[in-house]
Amino acid sequence: MRKGALVRLLAVGLALVMVSSCAVRTDQIARDPNTVRIALNGWVGYEASAEVLAYILREEMGYEVQLMRVSEQPSWQALDQGVLDVIVENWGHEDLMELYGPEGNGTVVDGGPNGNEGVIGWYVPAYLQEEYPEITTVEGLKEHTDLFRTAETGDRGEFLGGAPGFVTQDQGMINAFDLDLEIVYAGSEASQITEVRRRYANEEPVLFYFYDPQWLQEELDLVRVDFPDYEEGCADDLSSVPCDYPAYELNKIFRAGFVETGDPAYRFLDNWTWTNADQNRVAQMIADEGMDPTDAAEVWVEENPDVWRPWIPEGFEPAG
Amino acid sequence: MAALTRPATGGSGEVGGAAGPRASGGLVTVLTNRWLQALAAIAVLVIGYLVFRSLGSPAWAGPFPTGIGDRFMAWLDGVYAWIVANRNDSPLFLYGFNYVSVGLGSAVVLINRVLDLLTWAGVTAIGVLGAWRVAGWRVALLVLVTFAVFALTGLWNESMTTLALIITSVLIALVFGIPLGILAGRSEVFYRGIRPVLDFMQIMPAFAYLLPFVLLFGIGNPAAAVVTAVYAIPPAVRITALGIREVPKGAVEATTSLGSTPWQVLTKVQLPMAKRTILLGVNQTIMLAVSMVVIASVIGAGGLGDAIYQALSKVNVGEAFQAGLAIVMLAIAMDRVTGAVGHGAHTPNIAPRFQLPVLGAGLIAVIVVVTVARAMGARGWPRELSVDLSAPVNAFYDAVQAAIGAFTATLSEWTLTWVLSPLSELLTGSPWWLVVIVATALGWIFSGWRAALVSGASFVVIGLLGVWVNAMDTLSQVLVASLVTVALGVVVGVLMSRSDVFATILRPILDAMQTLPPFVYLIPAVALFTIGRVPALVAAVIFALPPVIRLVNDGIRGVPAPTKEAALSQGSTRWQLLSKVELPMARGSLLLAVNQGIILVLSMVVMGALVGAGSLGFDVVFGLAQNELGLGLASGLAIVCLGLFLDRVTQGRRAPRA
Repeated sequence: MRKGALVRLLAVGLALVMVSSCAVRTDQIARDPNTVRIALNGWVGYEASAEVLAYILREEMGYEVQLMRVSEQPSWQALDQGVLDVIVENWGHEDLMELYGPEGNGTVVDGGPNGNEGVIGWYVPAYLQEEYPEITTVEGLKEHTDLFRTAETGDRGEFLGGAPGFVTQDQGMINAFDLDLEIVYAGSEASQITEVRRRYANEEPVLFYFYDPQWLQEELDLVRVDFPDYEEGCADDLSSVPCDYPAYELNKIFRAGFVETGDPAYRFLDNWTWTNADQNRVAQMIADEGMDPTDAAEVWVEENPDVWRPWIPEGFEPAG
Repeated sequence: MAALTRPATGGSGEVGGAAGPRASGGLVTVLTNRWLQALAAIAVLVIGYLVFRSLGSPAWAGPFPTGIGDRFMAWLDGVYAWIVANRNDSPLFLYGFNYVSVGLGSAVVLINRVLDLLTWAGVTAIGVLGAWRVAGWRVALLVLVTFAVFALTGLWNESMTTLALIITSVLIALVFGIPLGILAGRSEVFYRGIRPVLDFMQIMPAFAYLLPFVLLFGIGNPAAAVVTAVYAIPPAVRITALGIREVPKGAVEATTSLGSTPWQVLTKVQLPMAKRTILLGVNQTIMLAVSMVVIASVIGAGGLGDAIYQALSKVNVGEAFQAGLAIVMLAIAMDRVTGAVGHGAHTPNIAPRFQLPVLGAGLIAVIVVVTVARAMGARGWPRELSVDLSAPVNAFYDAVQAAIGAFTATLSEWTLTWVLSPLSELLTGSPWWLVVIVATALGWIFSGWRAALVSGASFVVIGLLGVWVNAMDTLSQVLVASLVTVALGVVVGVLMSRSDVFATILRPILDAMQTLPPFVYLIPAVALFTIGRVPALVAAVIFALPPVIRLVNDGIRGVPAPTKEAALSQGSTRWQLLSKVELPMARGSLLLAVNQGIILVLSMVVMGALVGAGSLGFDVVFGLAQNELGLGLASGLAIVCLGLFLDRVTQGRRAPRA
């Protein structure tokens, strides 16, 4: 008797599943309405942008904002899967644009420049340049690679690589310029910065991958090594790259579905552009002064209304 | 990452028993013999390496050729590309994985919303009253303190997200784990079949399977919940199986002979009798889930793990410590509550006729608290009322760095030059077949021919995966870290067994060391020991030390008092007592301690890569960050192979684990 009931229950359940088994897309995960989901990539400059935008969306426009911390490549995947709405600071990644952009899956859209300019390069501390003025040229660096020897690299000089998710052509540059260097991967930006700070404090030599805008640039006096300028195509073969990194015009990446809504939140993010100085101001408050990111954003927003007021879409009335 | 941290209850005792027959005088000679044999094997490797170098390193004797491995990785990358291109239209996803993914993601959001709805006051009331009901007022007080830490560190919302994730993933783990455990407990064939799978799940570094799960279930909470559940299932299965098997045969036979169906035997006899053991499994599952949600923050899981991760990106040790403290408190509180359900001690004694009224009163109290709090507009704990711990912690950290930084940096350089680099050079520079032969020989010497086969096969597979050089470098790091861990662990463990006061002071420190997410102490390790392999080694030692100390302590304390008295009355010195009586008699626990130490060191390989340890760990992290499925998975599998080798060799000829 009870068995019969059980079977019947199962049958009904199965039928229900069959009926409801329409295609499910991952963007159907329950979420709060009015929530803007922003990717939070792993460096503080990015965080500064995201926090300021989140603050204005929350406090001035009445949206809920969710910041999700993921690395660069996975955040593109998240846009593709509909889990996130926007990446606010993108460095290059043409390959991902091909994969997910209009030519590929068609799930992401280039949102245009955010006003920040990005520089990647090889850096040494200024005190090193004072002692060896020629060290910031290719020839000078070649002569002095022995300065960077450490217990970890033995006879070769040590080049401190960037975090695993970052864009890199370092090995190609080492090969092309025939430098006696070995890359040591810090494995994360935090440990790289910790090591650079430690050596800086002891005035030890250090040569490393770094970039700008980055708050540490405000704290330490760093000099960029000069390589021949980037030209179209010179970094195509990553095993030999006879040029410097390109300058990046940093841009935003939107989820295609988010753009289609034409929501004021989208129009706000689309309107947004600011400068490296703006970003560094916020980033430094967060990282150097140890301020809570939201508080840092608040300070900037209060100081610069004339900068951000124009970003708010015309005729927008905050809900509630 | 506390994979095999705590052995099943009685694990050490059981092993000690198995070692019993040879625990006397014969042991020393057998051991010395074995050590001599092992030394000979290692000498062969060193001589082989030197000969090979003097021949000018011909290619036929170099590291494993990478052709096959490269093809394997390329194939995996192809799988990755296919999934990315087809995720939005393949039925496999539209009708399969996406269902799971949407369900799980929504579950986490919903639970989080319920916790939010209850307000901080309501959650605290439920937690404290519940803890009091099942575990007594002491644990209730601990739970109260835990919630206070969440609130006062300003991490209330993050803590609730973490709680929601843990609840979701523990539920999944138990829904699959307990039935599997029951099956394994009742069927020998199934048990044998599933054990290697569980071993594999526990040794495979979580980082290595993050990317595949992200591919299948999507970034953020869904994948995080699945990954956490996968990580936390093994103890639920193992311990449930153990519990069912420990039910006395007589009881089962008696019931069967009375005409019970197998279902009745299970529900009326086996499950009730195994209840306590199964609850212990639940407890372990929860503990693993707590440690995993931190790692899952790398793929976008929110909560406390995310807070730690964020603090790290700003190199703010104090802030990371704050969130780490919240995790430690959460883990300890959950451990005590679920542990109390397991052993039933301290549960308040309430007469049956009062049980319903007490429950009712509790419910009413919670409802009142929630209503009042909501009426006052409370949700999360107000941020203005939080205390900032990060400033003093950072000051302390800076002071420590200034005081001993120069010394530790020198120590680091010495370790690199004299220990790590030569060992790495020996392993990476020797002909691959010689390394395979020596590994096989070591397996045979310590654990017999089965282990020899496994050891040899593991090394060949590593070669086939195409990551030979990195794997050998990682092996050199793991060996050194394990040696340091075991040496320190034995010394501290012996000291702990000597003094009750010391033991009492040490216990909470060990608890904290075990539950503090390694993310928190990675950066201080870099600041002190300079970037590279040494800070990774230090972090691994910190992580793997607690269980080693505990097992050594337990083992020595387990030596019967009459035996010790007999030795002392015959005029043994304290040193003789330790070396001739206590340590040999605790051999089982010591072996288990060595084994656990090594496995835990191995589980830190990927974490170590975050501070510059490079090699396999870095490739796993790199694979995750750059979407290179092939590289990440192959490196992860190689770590599993190293784990198999080290596990088999150090298990010795003792009885297999439960």
